[in-house]
Amino acid sequence: MTTSPKRRIDVAGLVIALILIGLAGLVWWDMTKLQILSPYDLGPKVMPIVVSVGLTLLAIGNGIGALRGDLPPRDSLDWKPIILILGGLACLIALVAVGGGFMIGTAILFATTSAAFGRRAFLTDLLIGAVIAVFIYLLFGKLLTLSLPAGPLEHLF
Amino acid sequence: MSHFRKGLWRSALAAAAVAGFVTSAAAQMELKIMAPAAPGGGWDQTARSMQQALTQAGIAKSVQVANVPGAGGSIGIAQLVNNSKGDGNQLMVMGYVMVGALLTNKSPVTLDQTTPIARLTSEYEAIVVPASSPIKSVKELADAIKADPAKVTWAGGSAGGVDHIAAALFAKAAGADPTKINYIPFSGGGEALAAILGGKVTAGISGYGEFESQVKAGKLRLLGLTSPADKATADLPSIKAQGLDLEIANWRAVVAPPGISADQKKALMDAMDKMAKSKEWQEILKAKGWEDSYMSGDAFAKNLADEQGRTKDVLTAVGLVKS
Amino acid sequence: MEAFTSLASGLSVAIQPMNLLFALIGVLLGTAVGVLPGIGPALTVALLLPITFKLDPAGSIIMFAGIYYGGMYGGSTTAILINTPGESASMATALEGNLMAKAGRGGPALATSAIGSFVAGTIATLGLTLLAPYLVEVAVSFGPEDYFALMCVAFVTVSATFGDSPVRGLSSLFIGLLLGLVGIDILSGQSRLSFGIPELYDNIEVTTLAVGLFAVGEALYVASRRHIHEEKLEAVRGSLWMTKEDWKRSWKPWLRGTLYGFPIGALPAGGAEIPTFLSYATEKKLTKYPEDFGKGAIEGVAGPEAANNASAAGTLVPLLTLGLPTSATAAMMLAGFQQYGLNPGPLLFAEQPNLVWGLIASLFIANTMLLVLNLPLVGLWVKLLAIPQPWLYAGILVFATMGTIAANPSPVELIMLAVFGVLGFLMRRFDFPIAPVVVGLILGPIAESQLRRALSISLGDPMVLLQSPISATLLGIAVIALVLPFVLKGMGRFKAVED
Repeated sequence: MTTSPKRRIDVAGLVIALILIGLAGLVWWDMTKLQILSPYDLGPKVMPIVVSVGLTLLAIGNGIGALRGDLPPRDSLDWKPIILILGGLACLIALVAVGGGFMIGTAILFATTSAAFGRRAFLTDLLIGAVIAVFIYLLFGKLLTLSLPAGPLEHLF
Repeated sequence: MSHFRKGLWRSALAAAAVAGFVTSAAAQMELKIMAPAAPGGGWDQTARSMQQALTQAGIAKSVQVANVPGAGGSIGIAQLVNNSKGDGNQLMVMGYVMVGALLTNKSPVTLDQTTPIARLTSEYEAIVVPASSPIKSVKELADAIKADPAKVTWAGGSAGGVDHIAAALFAKAAGADPTKINYIPFSGGGEALAAILGGKVTAGISGYGEFESQVKAGKLRLLGLTSPADKATADLPSIKAQGLDLEIANWRAVVAPPGISADQKKALMDAMDKMAKSKEWQEILKAKGWEDSYMSGDAFAKNLADEQGRTKDVLTAVGLVKS
Repeated sequence: MEAFTSLASGLSVAIQPMNLLFALIGVLLGTAVGVLPGIGPALTVALLLPITFKLDPAGSIIMFAGIYYGGMYGGSTTAILINTPGESASMATALEGNLMAKAGRGGPALATSAIGSFVAGTIATLGLTLLAPYLVEVAVSFGPEDYFALMCVAFVTVSATFGDSPVRGLSSLFIGLLLGLVGIDILSGQSRLSFGIPELYDNIEVTTLAVGLFAVGEALYVASRRHIHEEKLEAVRGSLWMTKEDWKRSWKPWLRGTLYGFPIGALPAGGAEIPTFLSYATEKKLTKYPEDFGKGAIEGVAGPEAANNASAAGTLVPLLTLGLPTSATAAMMLAGFQQYGLNPGPLLFAEQPNLVWGLIASLFIANTMLLVLNLPLVGLWVKLLAIPQPWLYAGILVFATMGTIAANPSPVELIMLAVFGVLGFLMRRFDFPIAPVVVGLILGPIAESQLRRALSISLGDPMVLLQSPISATLLGIAVIALVLPFVLKGMGRFKAVED
């Protein structure tokens, strides 16, 4: 009775189980702060209880799977493109938040994503992204009068 | 830069400023109206209608509408108070619903921090029952709710909204315990209307516009509107005229940011005065079926304060706001 | 037969050159906005209302109908090609449709979706013409308990999207249910899982979740594996057009999808998502090629797309007969009607027959126009996949974020999109199915609020669920659908033992 190398405990799987337990606890904690206001309503607590209990059971299920090493195999992972894409998204979010408008952010996101997929022409891509952003702004901001987040560049139009 | 050129600049600026005052100051106004809701809703339609009327009537040179949706207007008002302080060209559309939403959402920003400008429109709440219902009058509904509030089920909009408040006030006026009403909130999109038509609930409460065509077609019976007694007609009976003290309106208004000067406030109020009287605005009101309830300045400020007080009392009574 | 003569006169209204032009503008606009997730037909109609104020009522309402149908076409095109459902109702289409596109069968996928939409739209519009007054009676008699039962049926079918592990599928579903809790509880007015962030009070937007999980998550996943597995997108393999085999596998799903979409769309709280999932689950169960599901099965595109379009026509049943707007777009069309002093409702058919029949006729025309426009475009659309991969994914991300901020210009919404993107990435990496999350977000809140409404009305008596014949029947179906597979399995085993 030796454990075969395939049947190793999957650490990531255990982490997932722990996250699910954590979420279940969060939902439960949040539920305790609710009140039942109407005497006829089942109340806002029932559904959180169902979800919390369900998540707990699933955490156990996932945990058992992880201990058995039942998880499907995973490939190695290249972090660089992920950081590039999320970095581009973060730039866009930050620019929208501080009032820098969406055009610059959109151009950056386009260029970083493109770089994440292996392109090296960062400046060209920045330009392409900017052109797309201008096009979208004219179509939706001007034609349909949607309020897109505006910054210095948008005010030029 | 030489003194001479500097001086020239100054006088040019001064001249421009004078010219600005000589030609109507209002026509130069570049207004920004914020609708603290997503495009399409009532506040957004109000903002875009104002835009239409203000520019077509030549009251403002340009009007920009921006949507800041979220949490019954809590996000919009926070932005108005925090980011637009002292901006005399900024307005925000708001309504009675926001009064309740700010209270139930425990918003850190309140309407007291804004500068009230004018109330524009109102819609009265209507209480209806299915055509087949044995209840024929406001009094019968009041008796039923007094006898057993649990058995009278109400269909209306979301909890803490104007429909809910009106139902609670009805129960109170009928002499029943408003915390015991069996009020069932429905999401928008006619779900409540379907439940009333299908006879799933005892009564429905919402803006009259929601029910109008059904009432005219005879599928729903209108018991009364929450209008003042003197506004009642044979087709549109008021609840108050039927002996129950209930008067409430779902109004829409505009407010300005805090910290604007008295002149700026006056300019905005003048612009609203002109708009309310304009042919363009009156046409829009007619087309949209909105009732004109124009009221500006101090009268509106006092009205707003009163509404806040009353709403807080009701919401505290039904437990949505902790005092 | 009265209906047909009315329809003929309606057609004569709709076929006037000016109105045809309005229909064309509407169809084009609708397709354009349908491509951007977050900006749907409702928003477009809302923003166009002030502009169309000056047009004549028939023309502008015909244009709105074009936008409505066009938006759905646009939404499914992006769902199939770039796995970015333009609206929540095209999510089921994305499941198999995108797999087909990746396998070089984007052409047939788009074609079956276009033809299926046309078939379903036409049948459903006919249904609207003939059955509206009867159907609406049934629709209104649907109470909260019946909706709850319908949700139970829908929940049972979710397992069709689970993949190979029930534990992981259920985990996904419960994460969706958890996300469905976020925001203000409509029945009690209290906020749940919002942590004092006002942006969270309004519940999580389905499109933000779907786009984050599908589009952003996929971009992250593909990028992270580029060094070991260069994903080769084949723009076209085999015929661009549907083969005889494709037709054979598509026509039944089209019809079944219509049967789900039209009646459920006509229910005041039915929606378009539930019929698409029911259709997906049914096709997966009934297909003769179960091995194709998960690799791009044409049935999984044909059925949901038909259901989606049929439900759009269904929505018009309560709108025209009762004045009940049951979807965001229908609400905007109602506002459009009111702008011209028309009140949809019981009296509309009697007071404004020309307009109503003109609208119904223009639905036929919009549908035909979309088919005529879109089929030749299939070749062009598929070329999108030939765009170099870096630009394709960069474009997808730009469109995903743009759609999100155009609908709600707040950084919090974008942060949510990014978080859901990371979630989608992790779920792909650890082999958790994505679709159940979105299904949970859609179904959870409806099921909860309808059950609570039913129990409030009955003063807490659970028997109300069995006393309503509709509810009892639906619950029965749900139980059978849940138990039957186990019973059949058991019998199979029993037989095996007997042999």
